[in-house]
Parts: sequence; structure tokens; C-alpha cells
Amino acid sequence: MRDVVVIGGGVVGSAVAWRLSTTTARVTLVEAAHDLCEGASKGNTGIATSGGDCHPGTLEAELVTRSSAGWEALCARLDTPFQRIGTLAVATTIEEQARLPELHRQARSCGVAADLVDGEAARRMEPLLTVEARAALHFPDDGIIDSIRLTLGYAELAARNGVEVLRSSPVTAIERDGDRIVAVIAGGRRITTCAVVNAAGLETDTISRLAGGESFRTWPRQGQYWLLDREMGGRFRKVVGGVPTAVTRGVYCVPTTNRSLLLGPTAVDRDDRGDRAVDEATLDEVFAAARRLVPLVRREHAIKTFAANRPASDPVYRVARDARIENLVHAAGIRSTGVSSSPAVAELVRDLLEQIGLPVDRERPDAILALQPLPRLLDHLEPERLVALDPRYGQVICTCEQVTAAEIAAAYRMHVPASSLEGVRKRTRATGGRCQGAYCLAGVSFLHTLHTGCTPERIAVGEPGATLGVAGADG
Amino acid sequence: MAERRSVAIVGAGITGLSCAAALRHDAAVTVVDRIPVAGGVHGWKPAETRELVAVCGATLALGETALRWDGRELLVIGQHGAWRQPADALVIASGARPLGRPELGVVGSRPAGVVAATVACHLAENGLAVGLNPVIMGGGDWAMAASRRLLAAGARAITLVSPGPLLRPAPDDRRVAVREGERVAEVIGRGRICAVQLASGTRIECDALVLAHGLVPLRNVDGAVWDGHRTVYAQPTGDPATVHIAKAAGSAAAAAVRSLLDLEDGR
Repeated sequence: MRDVVVIGGGVVGSAVAWRLSTTTARVTLVEAAHDLCEGASKGNTGIATSGGDCHPGTLEAELVTRSSAGWEALCARLDTPFQRIGTLAVATTIEEQARLPELHRQARSCGVAADLVDGEAARRMEPLLTVEARAALHFPDDGIIDSIRLTLGYAELAARNGVEVLRSSPVTAIERDGDRIVAVIAGGRRITTCAVVNAAGLETDTISRLAGGESFRTWPRQGQYWLLDREMGGRFRKVVGGVPTAVTRGVYCVPTTNRSLLLGPTAVDRDDRGDRAVDEATLDEVFAAARRLVPLVRREHAIKTFAANRPASDPVYRVARDARIENLVHAAGIRSTGVSSSPAVAELVRDLLEQIGLPVDRERPDAILALQPLPRLLDHLEPERLVALDPRYGQVICTCEQVTAAEIAAAYRMHVPASSLEGVRKRTRATGGRCQGAYCLAGVSFLHTLHTGCTPERIAVGEPGATLGVAGADG
Repeated sequence: MAERRSVAIVGAGITGLSCAAALRHDAAVTVVDRIPVAGGVHGWKPAETRELVAVCGATLALGETALRWDGRELLVIGQHGAWRQPADALVIASGARPLGRPELGVVGSRPAGVVAATVACHLAENGLAVGLNPVIMGGGDWAMAASRRLLAAGARAITLVSPGPLLRPAPDDRRVAVREGERVAEVIGRGRICAVQLASGTRIECDALVLAHGLVPLRNVDGAVWDGHRTVYAQPTGDPATVHIAKAAGSAAAAAVRSLLDLEDGR
């Protein structure tokens, strides 16, 4: 018997699991995919916005701004890279420039730090900026964050505090007694529970329907991205974006916490939830938009293109108790600020669960509050110390991202360990660099067999069945 | 006479060793390679490699990975720890790799079964085929190596899609079909790849796509990836690669290092 089953192992579900894990509640986190962080939480810009582009008076604006100040402290506890470098929303036309004062007022009324600066001042802040920049809004409190490490960090700390994490466990049924959920069937297991949190992202509608709850409509809003070399991202000082419109925030140039550069996203509503294909026309559009902001970005620096689907929904951004089912809480329709508002969403979900009588009001005295940081070779200030900690730090497996055998070993030692090559990439960045595995995938594959005991034919790239090699070559 | 100069070379392939040999009277040379043997893609057994190792007069730091360069010092890590090699110049001779998906303009989905030729060859040598019906994109060294090795590992039908004319003869084997002057435009499949679409519109069913077209320099030393201070790049990308080309690149790099050091001496 569980107190709470959290459905969805993206950033929101993992944050909720983390928040509940320090209380006396017994919690299970279930995820349909083979690993946590497989949806929008791994395919996003990695901007932790301070809320400058949120609509004043909305729950989203409130939860984003409430989350913003705490990132440094939280990320230190979750061993997650975060840097508060600020965003420039850059106007290159008279029309865009004319919209800045209104956006400035909007940001200020959300309580978000924002400065209106002229083009010259903007270029002093970010010398890579186009000379066409006429003016910009500077949001100094915006940060860049490793959203994968954040999601996995939440889940890891939750698991260390006793939260049961079930992967490859799609929810197929939810049992009710009147207006109360009594059990969740996930991955063929029946889990009896006092309450359910629906944090299923794109599948919010499915889960609510299975529970007999409110009707949601969700659909994928696809974004396409370019990833550029670390050498390029390392030259950026600021996140650079355009002037948001009513429809979209537009394309950003975002230096990542490991110095790569992300360009994107686009925003196109689709029907097919499993479609993550990129196309040439859209990628061209992203690049052209990025070059209008920073003319220096060049295609020969591209190391990867990818697409991700964020959960668009009607209603949007609903963190509330279900109107019909008394022990169901939704953290749903969180389309593009899932990362940026996750700490406050988790706290609000806790409040809502307390209101319905769950034992989430008492903190456990023995709860672990921080993960032990794992030393990583890339940019380490005292690399001389590392080999004494573990000789495997001397064995650099992925030279592009400078990931060592010690870091890869640690990915398999986690409470929520890597179970695929993609799982290793998400935990360590190995194979994620400029050669995209051309020189290290074989080594990573070998280590995978070493740490998991699986045979070479069964090395999973991602989902089970999607193996690296094919069996039967000898047969 | 000025104090003896020191040069660090990253990459103990034919290029790096040739550069070291050419500099042996001018500088104290340290050659670093992440692989614990010399020879790079040419291998350590051929006579060229062994002769160069014998005559180059350099300190070989093999099984050690170069990490960062700040213009004065190369940070290296290996199983005995991290160390810093002071150097007046750095030579990057770390070879080349086949082009990746964005470099080739291949769009579509990102399923399992799309791998670089380097990986496909390594796995095939160990008896693991990345596909039984693979499409191999390329027409040079890596494409032919991948074709041969995948056939040996049990592949049943290979389609070689070569954007240009074949640079090397394709294996004479009824299991290999060649499409010259065509390009893979799109990957199709979820979970695992099931087909590719060529730029011409032709769809080819397959269970793997091996990327083996073109070569770009492989550079992984932070601070020396694009325009490192006091850095000379010696990374021929000709396909097919030859010992002659590698040796010439090594000599040219040595000349560039010499002029870099001479210019400073005369300052």
C-alpha cells in the first residue's frame, strides 16, 4: 500500500517524488519509458527562466518566479550544473523594438528583474550579438541548467530516500471505488494507493481518462534544435533570444552548462506523439533565426540535430486537484516551463496532497537532503587529485566530452542506474559530444556489458528491443 | 644558443611520429596518444610505424589522453594521474573521423541502428553486426572497411550509397549493391531504423545505416579545437588515406613548428 503514486518520470514527476521523499509518505514513481527523462525534459533549451516571459497573474508566472531564486542552492544539492548568466531578448527591427516596453512592464509586474537596454549596451553584454541589434530586454536572473541532470537528480535523491522508482511501467488501468482511486496498474503490477499525482506530460489526458477524471486535451508541440560544438557555446556570455510574440518565444541561442550551443526551438503543433523526426526546411528556419541574432554561428560547427515534443494542452498549466476524483492531483499541461517551475510545482502538489489528508506534512528526520557530488573530469580544477580517488579517472572513454570510466561506472551505481547507452549519455554525456560516439561508442558499449552483465547482442541503445547490434548474424 | 625548445604532439599515428622525427634535432618532443600503442589507424605492426618509433627520438606517452592546452602547457591524464607537459608549441595530429549526421545533412528520426563506420567496424571485428541489411553511406576507405567487416560478421545484403564516385573498389561480392552519385537524405524508423530515403526519392529498406562518408579532423584538446595558441594542425583528410600523405603532413607540420619557434627566437 502506497500513500502516493506519481505517474510520469519527467522533470515534474521527479520533482514531486523528490519533494515527497523527505516526508513520511510512502511513494512510488512510475514511468512508461525504459528510463526517466525521456520526453520534453531531455529535449528543451535548458533555460531556467526567471519568468520574464510569463503572463502576469497566471499560476505559471507565480510558480516560475517562486522557483527562480532557489536554483543555486537546489542545484548544489542535486549535483546539477546551473549558471545564472541572464538572457537578452533582442529586437532587430523597429516593430520588435516597439514591443519591448510592454514586455518590460509585463516582466516587472511579475516581479521579474528586467532592464531595457540599447543595442550598444546589449552588445557589450554579449559581443557575439548582431550589429543589427537595436535594443534588448535583459533578464539578469535567467539561468542555464542541465535539465537532464536536474530530472535525474530529483529522482536519485528521491530513490535514496526510499521512493520506489519503476521504469518500463506504463499505466494501463486505474481502479476506483466511487470517486476515489484505489489502485494503479502499471507495468503489469497492481499498486494500491491513497492518492495519485498525474505528471504524465503528453499522456496527461490518457491518465486522467483512465482515472475517470477531468477531460484534458493534450497534443505534441514539436520543437527542432541544432546542437553546436562546445567551442562555440564556450564563447557565449548570455542566452540570446528574439522578442517573444503572443504565439511563441521564438528561437534562442543557448550556451549549455557544458559549453555546447543549442539553437531552437521551433513550435509546430502535431498529432503524432511519437514523431521526433527533424526535417530540412524547419532546421533551415531555426538556423536562419539564430543567425539573425548571432551571425557567427555556422553549420560546420553542428554536431547534432534533434526534435522533442512539449506537451501542449487544453487547459494549460493545471496544477490542481481533479474536479471529480478526490484523491487525484494533476501537474499537467506544463508545456515549456516544466524545468523552470518544477521546485514550486512540487511544493504546490505537496500542499494539495496535504489538503486531501495525505501524510506529507511531516519531514523525516533521517531524510537525505543532498546528493554527494560526483567529480567529473571536464573542466575539473584539480584533475591531479582525481586518479587517487579512482584510477579509472585516468581512462578517458569519451574524449569529446572528456568522460572517464570512473564517471561511467558511477552511472551504473546510481539508485536509478543507466540501463541503456542513451541512459549513459544522459548521466555522463559520453557519446554526446562532437563526434557523436564515432570514437567512443564501442568503449561505452564494452563498459555497458561489463557493468550490466548483458551480452553484446543485447546492448540496448534506448528502449528495449532497440539494440546496438543485431542477433542472428552467425545463424 | 637558446635553451632547447619543447614540442608536444597529440597523436602517435604516422603523421605525429613523422612530425616528431623531423623535429628531433630542433626540440625535445613528447608524443601523447590515448591508445597504448603507436601507429594510429595504420597500426603498430607495419614497418613504417616501427621505423618511425625507432628513429623519432621522442618521449612516447601512450595510453594517456591530452585534455587542455593553454598555449604553454598541455594537461594530460592517464592511469598514473594527471600531469602537465610544458611546451613551446603543440601539434594536433589526432587524425580524422567520418562525417556525422548534421554534417551530412541527414534528417529524419534518431532510431537505434545509425552508427559511424568507426563503431560499425570495431563491433564487426568483435563479431557483432550493427545490421544484417545495412546501408553504408560512403565510397572511400571507411565505407569499404565497413562493407568487408560487416560481410564477415554475417551481413546478408549491403547497399553502398556513395555521394561521389567510388574512391576504392567495392568488395566483389553478390551481397553488395552499389549506388553511386546518391545521398542518404532521411532516416526512417522508431525504436530501430527500418529504411532510408535517398535524395533522389528512392526508399531503401534496411536495419542499419553506417555513416562512412568524408573525413573531418578529430580535435578534442580544449583550447586547441579551432584556433589554439601556438598550435599547428596536422590532420590530412584525404580519402583514401596513405602513409605518404601522412608523412608529408607530419613534415609540413614540423616545418610550421620550426618557423613558429624561429620567429620567436628572432624577436
